[in-house]
Amino acid sequence: MSQFIQSLVDALSAGAVLGLAALAIGLVFGVIRLANFATGEIITGAGYALVLTWDLGWYVAIPLSILVAVILSLLMELAVFSRMRKAGPATLLIASFGVSFLLQRVYELIFGNNVRSAPVASNLSQSVEVAGIRLQLLSVTAIVLSAILLVLLQLFLTRTTLGLQLQAAAADFTTARLVGIPASRVIGLSFVLSGVLAAAVAFVLTTQSGAVGPTFGVRITVLALVGAVIGGIDKISGALAGGFLVGFASSMLETWLPQGVGNFRDAFVYVLVIVVLLLKPSGLLVRGRGAVRT
Amino acid sequence: MHSSRPTWERVAVSIDSSTISAVGLHVTGLTVSYNGVPAVRGIDLAVAGGEAVGLIGPNGAGKSSSLLAIMGATARTGAVRINGRDASGLVPEKVVRLGIALVPEGRHVFADLSVKDNLRLGGVARRTKSGAQEAMDKVMDLFPILREFASRPAGLLSGGQQQQLAIGRALMSDPDVLMLDEPSLGLSPTAVDTVFEALAAVRAAGKAVLVVEQRAEFTIAFCDRTYVLHDGVITLSLKPEDAENVQILTEAYFG
Amino acid sequence: MSTPSIIKRSLGYRLAPGWSLVSLLLLVFAAVAVNSLFGKSNQIAMQYALVDLIIVVALQMFIGTSGVLSFGHVAFVAVGAWTVGLLTIDPTLKHSLLPNLFPFLYDIGSPWILAVFIGGIVGGVLALVVSPALMRLNGLQAGIATFALLGLVNQVLTYWSSIGPESGQSMVGIPDVLNVWMTMLFAMGAIVVAWLFQRTRPARLLRAAREDGTASAASGINVVTQRIITFTASGVIAGVAGGLFALTNRVVQASQLSIDLTFVTLAMLVLGGMLSLSGAVVGTLVFALVDLILVKLQAGMTIAAHTLQIPQGTRPIVLGLILVLMLIFRSKGITGGREFVWPFRKNQLPGVPVSND
Repeated sequence: MSQFIQSLVDALSAGAVLGLAALAIGLVFGVIRLANFATGEIITGAGYALVLTWDLGWYVAIPLSILVAVILSLLMELAVFSRMRKAGPATLLIASFGVSFLLQRVYELIFGNNVRSAPVASNLSQSVEVAGIRLQLLSVTAIVLSAILLVLLQLFLTRTTLGLQLQAAAADFTTARLVGIPASRVIGLSFVLSGVLAAAVAFVLTTQSGAVGPTFGVRITVLALVGAVIGGIDKISGALAGGFLVGFASSMLETWLPQGVGNFRDAFVYVLVIVVLLLKPSGLLVRGRGAVRT
Repeated sequence: MHSSRPTWERVAVSIDSSTISAVGLHVTGLTVSYNGVPAVRGIDLAVAGGEAVGLIGPNGAGKSSSLLAIMGATARTGAVRINGRDASGLVPEKVVRLGIALVPEGRHVFADLSVKDNLRLGGVARRTKSGAQEAMDKVMDLFPILREFASRPAGLLSGGQQQQLAIGRALMSDPDVLMLDEPSLGLSPTAVDTVFEALAAVRAAGKAVLVVEQRAEFTIAFCDRTYVLHDGVITLSLKPEDAENVQILTEAYFG
Repeated sequence: MSTPSIIKRSLGYRLAPGWSLVSLLLLVFAAVAVNSLFGKSNQIAMQYALVDLIIVVALQMFIGTSGVLSFGHVAFVAVGAWTVGLLTIDPTLKHSLLPNLFPFLYDIGSPWILAVFIGGIVGGVLALVVSPALMRLNGLQAGIATFALLGLVNQVLTYWSSIGPESGQSMVGIPDVLNVWMTMLFAMGAIVVAWLFQRTRPARLLRAAREDGTASAASGINVVTQRIITFTASGVIAGVAGGLFALTNRVVQASQLSIDLTFVTLAMLVLGGMLSLSGAVVGTLVFALVDLILVKLQAGMTIAAHTLQIPQGTRPIVLGLILVLMLIFRSKGITGGREFVWPFRKNQLPGVPVSND
């Protein structure tokens, strides 16, 4: 029983982190129809920042990693995506693929192929006892961190004018512009928020592994991307839910798959993705068959 | 490729150039093409403050295209001046800030946001930042139903109510020119009355109103002038007294 | 745009369709021939480039015709490579390298050329099996679903030791039977097949649907069926490419046949122009040429007493930059999606094969 609760908490934590990553992707997609595969490289960049400056103190490393993530995110938009406004979502996906590949190689060039390590937030890598059950402190932290970020984001989106503008642009970009909402402002905003979320993801992942390499953010981004799409990338809540689902399922599979089959957990996730897309292409959270807005 | 449709004879619309710097909308030679197919072929329009001008015509005549083009939402050639200022090459969100607002066809309210939030968003483009609250009060005075449903998600409103919201949202930016694309579409007669009563109030307040409509009679009676658009070209200019004249109406629609 | 019939009857005009094929075959031949003057290591690089060419041709066959994105074709390449590996590795070697195979897999074997075609069939079968599900999807969903397919096949091949090596290990010992000229023949064959396919009914119907989905559906074209046919055909070609990859590389590992190869081949297609077969060929050859120059520069080239050298690791960055810049500034690619017609004709529409209609 206690093992079940442990695995449940771990799964919730994995779902929370993947949900944040999927949300980072979904926020940008909502506004400009770009499923940004290079979000992984934003995560990697933030990870490098954490690992390389951790000895300066967490109060330096953490803000710096957020800054790096936001700058990377905005740079991508400025250098590449802003010039591709007329392209369709599939072309944009390929372009983001290209940016991702490019940045991975740049990281290789700058930092080398081997990982860089640092004991980031090492006091979180221990277990605590809660109600007689041993839980990973990091898992609990990840859940709490995600919850806080989600609440803050929700408040921002619903209580501030800027947040409302972003919601409106994500819902109906053309009408939003006709009403006078500045396109460049909301697009930039979505990239900034995306960067902040990516930095949070990087924090959890770096604490988990203690080491960052050029392909650090790739795996989680692949899962976050497929999760966002099966949740219904059209809506911000859809991306979040889909990412959570994939993270949760993946973690549960990891714990509970029998020996020998355990290696295939990612394979199971991929099968799940194909099945969902077959049955409900517009995503799980979208009502009805829905017009697939791509 | 050219069908046997008759080519409509263009009717000259006289624009008094001495009024160009005054409040209102001035359009000359507006041309819009989609992928090489012309939708609007060089039209001229002028709407002064305190006037309502109608634009009617069959489907596909280029009415919506004209409004979207004036807002900068589609590529166009020709001169567009709002309150005397040139709107060339501006993106929609900048055009709005010249003092013009469009109530789009189909209303396009932000369904997941509340009525109040929809209105707040309309105020984002206000030229004077202060007075947003007063503007919202005035809009809610004009359309009391919006005050009643202020916290309700806009998607839950009826068609007529959404139309009122869309107009209110447009008015929040304090425009001098208000354009509406088929406001009566899908509305019950009572709802249409409410809408046009509000438009009368807007006109009386000194704004310039440009209404695109399918329903000829109503529009011709309401507006100070109504133009008929056929195949991208203005072919007739009508006055309110022409609203009763069946012959002129038939000509307007079938040539 | 109607061409006057007097021009249509002229010989030059009528030769254009054939020329659009022959020009590509000549281009490939010229590339291989010129390259062979430059030494052995270049031959090997050219061989890899030719294998890539076949993959890109397979990609173009599907993406260019249907307008639907596929991130999954390398899955068919992978199963093709796997098939050839299993069929051509010496049985004794198989027993020691791949200890957990299904028993019947130890006994099967075939001449390499047959193995390549079987690899193609296996690729086609996989494509056929998954296509009823995947071919209903469009746009981003299609990209993600095919991406999931790639991931799925990759995971299965990496970890399922009953059909291959232990987790993450490689299949080695594939015989050395292929040289660059034989590979060239395969590449030319693939181009011919793709060229012929462009003129079949499924391809024509798909192109119509690509231009105007609503009208085609209204005229009763079952787009999904046509897509299934095209996807399967391109799966066969990709499978053949995989088999040739195995014979070229002599070592097969699942991690080599995954996202990176997908990216490289997609980049080549984008560079050349997605909408035309010429784009597939041109893109691959130009990419290979640029890559070759970069390899030389990384090693240090001496020109007129000056040595030029670029740092290690620049090569993939330059290639990645090329893709991104192409997508921004000329997303239609070098060929603009047009087939080769000069000098027999001038204005060719993008995305339409050359014909005499």
